[in-house]
Amino acid sequence: MTFWTRTFGIAAVFLAGIAPLHAADDELNALVWCDHSDPALLDPFEEEHGVTVNIKEYEGTGAALALLEQSQPGDWDVFVVDGVDVPRIVEAGYLAPLDREGLPLDDIFPGIRDSEIHEIGGELYAVPEKFGYNTISYNDAKVNAGDMRDIAVLWSDAYSGRIAIYDYYIPLINLVAIGLGLREDGITADELPAIREHLLKMKERSAMVGDVVSVQTALATGDVDIIAGGGEWATAVLMAEDPNMEWVNPDQGGVRWSQSIGVFSDAGNPELARKFVEYVLGPEGQARLATSSCYWAMPSNSKAALTDEEKTVLRWDEQETFIANSWPYFIPDPELDAMFLDIWTEMLQH
Amino acid sequence: MRPQALTTIPAAVYVLAAYAFIYLPVIVLVIFSFQDGRLPVPPFKGVSLRWYQEVFSDSDLMEALINSVMVGVVSAALATVLGFLAAHALARHRMPGAVFFQWLLMAPLSVSYLIIGIGLLITFTATGMPKSLLSVVIGHVVINLPLAFGICYSQLGGHQVSAERAARDLGAREWQVLALISVPMMWPAIAAAFFLSFTLSWDEFIVAWLVTRFDVTLPVEIWSLLRSGLDPTTNAVGTVVFAISMALVIVMELFVFRRKARA
Amino acid sequence: MNRRGLAGWFLLAPAFLWLAAFFVVPFAVMALYSVWRREGTQLVREASLANYEAFLSKSYFLDALFNSLEITAVTVVLSVLFAYPLAYILAFLVPRRWQRLGLVLAILPFWTSYLVRSYSWLLVLSENGVISQTLVTLGLLSETMSFANSNGATILGFVHFFTMLLALTIYANLVQISPNYRRAAEDLGASRLQSFIHVVLPLSLPGVMIGAFITFVLAIGDYITPQILGGNRELVMPQAILLQVQRRADFPMASAMSLVLMLVVSAVFLASARWLKMDRV
Repeated sequence: MTFWTRTFGIAAVFLAGIAPLHAADDELNALVWCDHSDPALLDPFEEEHGVTVNIKEYEGTGAALALLEQSQPGDWDVFVVDGVDVPRIVEAGYLAPLDREGLPLDDIFPGIRDSEIHEIGGELYAVPEKFGYNTISYNDAKVNAGDMRDIAVLWSDAYSGRIAIYDYYIPLINLVAIGLGLREDGITADELPAIREHLLKMKERSAMVGDVVSVQTALATGDVDIIAGGGEWATAVLMAEDPNMEWVNPDQGGVRWSQSIGVFSDAGNPELARKFVEYVLGPEGQARLATSSCYWAMPSNSKAALTDEEKTVLRWDEQETFIANSWPYFIPDPELDAMFLDIWTEMLQH
Repeated sequence: MRPQALTTIPAAVYVLAAYAFIYLPVIVLVIFSFQDGRLPVPPFKGVSLRWYQEVFSDSDLMEALINSVMVGVVSAALATVLGFLAAHALARHRMPGAVFFQWLLMAPLSVSYLIIGIGLLITFTATGMPKSLLSVVIGHVVINLPLAFGICYSQLGGHQVSAERAARDLGAREWQVLALISVPMMWPAIAAAFFLSFTLSWDEFIVAWLVTRFDVTLPVEIWSLLRSGLDPTTNAVGTVVFAISMALVIVMELFVFRRKARA
Repeated sequence: MNRRGLAGWFLLAPAFLWLAAFFVVPFAVMALYSVWRREGTQLVREASLANYEAFLSKSYFLDALFNSLEITAVTVVLSVLFAYPLAYILAFLVPRRWQRLGLVLAILPFWTSYLVRSYSWLLVLSENGVISQTLVTLGLLSETMSFANSNGATILGFVHFFTMLLALTIYANLVQISPNYRRAAEDLGASRLQSFIHVVLPLSLPGVMIGAFITFVLAIGDYITPQILGGNRELVMPQAILLQVQRRADFPMASAMSLVLMLVVSAVFLASARWLKMDRV
């Protein structure tokens, strides 16, 4: 008898451990880019509120939407997403309006406020939290820095076999369009053949295509000397180890990314989600986010509590020029998006 | 003795080369887990234990480790029990359609884990079943059932039949025969099925990755570690996992299989 | 007898129901999804062969399939060629009491995490990695170069894993061959080479074929090794399938591609079934 009770007891303990649990009050579920996974960012919030922050990282809005489709209502509380995608996500009903009271909206750098995409029908749905550039990162010891000021270097023969391509089709297609002088009024289907041709040329001259950490690894281990689509996010984290890791905003201009934070409309824990949003946008949260382990980048809050050294690495003082000479992501409509993905997949397989 | 040397020396060289190849990534992994710097590639900058400190203070990793043990134990136990019962049914009872059942039980073996995982993901999403460790257990039982069944079936030889028949003749019920005669006689096969299933579940990534969300198994946590920054933490985790697994293998080698070999 | 027949069904039922619910049903669901399609963010529930047509008409899907087949074929051949001599030496040339140790040593790294092993290979093969640096130090290379991020790196990662697996299965097969057969052949005047070619090799082929088939199934369905080591230079099927799942939640297309991959594996199974069955003899 005792044998069986004991056996069932052990079995019950194990089963309790693997059974799906429903959203607990002291848990926050966030769908985020990988920079939000740094314990240095999450621990202070978890300790202050006595909660656990569960994060799931993704790369690219398409991946986030795919994950959301595999989820149940109430699964998610906080969403960090590319700012330019906020309108379509609001339209799909994913985000809840935010109360402006208590958010440091006036401290956000004016150049990246983009109220037309964050405010819809008079309601605020998301707030910019971090921004940076998809341009060209390089190893200064291995390449001629002057060459990097022209996007066309990515498809010239000069650095053939020394290039890594960041695997996110939206900014890379934008970058190629800028290099070809086609970005001015957005990107149209007519321009795709030329973009495709240069993507394929770039692929022929590349050594690899990879996600954030893969391209960082390739640059750090010497496999490549240039990251197409790179920027401060690719090199700042490596700089401490190797000061030759540089990035540049080319003369034609670069692509500017900006990620925003919002709360899900069906959040299981909206109060805690709100507190997390306030934490991330506050001076301390902003400083920790800007320097988190996956990638460094500029905080959107001009009052972020960063040290002078950190500001230097982030090139705090040059931002005005950079913002002026860069385009936000051009986001295609669903039909054009399918065509983008199509040429991107073709490029991957090329 | 010359011909002997002619074969021995190339053979020794071959074996040493093979071991060098097999051990190269493991040794490099372990060495650079002690790297005093962020980059786990040469040059080696000195010995530091900070990456191990990172690993042991990372509560997500420790949780994932416990999850992996639980998923491994539960799924291996289920796969072994189901596999053993099915093997017993097909080996000892005259079943119509036995060939079909045998085929079905072995079928998952010829299907890639990825496809099993995607099938489960789509099915769970379509039926609204939440992603969880329970889904991983379900998937791992599907993967391991054929092996557990195969091992038990191949070992259910004729030598237990007479013991089982004797028990039956003495009035034992069917479940008594099973629990008191077949299971003890089959113990080595059952243990082998369990440990093999556990090992495969322990290291399985793709199914676990597709069907979990926050509560994840160790390989999934390692994957997100890999994708959240380049530093020797991954080396340290890999070394720790290797040490744990090796300890397990040595314990099994000494206590389980050594005994079986003697028996 | 009647009660015993019933007992058989009771014993079989749990395993059968489990596989029916979590193996057969998912296949049916995948088959159903594969004839639906995704348009924009909508799932269109109308039967059509659009996904299969897309697979056959877009070169990058077919390229992924051929790339998969090529990498897998090379992997299987190389792994067998590496593992066989190792298993042979362990089985016949190493003294009995050292065999078990030799075998355990050969498969010990099997228990490092599969993911971490691929990642470790990436670092070993990189331009600043151990191999490139060592070759330069030895004067075999004039300057450092990278061996990572290529199909060759993927194949190397695979061969490393499957050499261990195959060494085990082939060894298990070799030690089962009765030494009497070899002795008989040698008594009849066969040289060692002849006895190997005419006796040992044919008798060990079933084990080799089973190991090769397992290698084939595991390698063609693996996502990790090509994703970490291949550098996305050329995609393989698992990567192409997961692109559909991860970037556009296109379950219909992913289902269709999974079924195509299944079909290819089944075809290989049927083609090799003749040899696979030999172990029943």
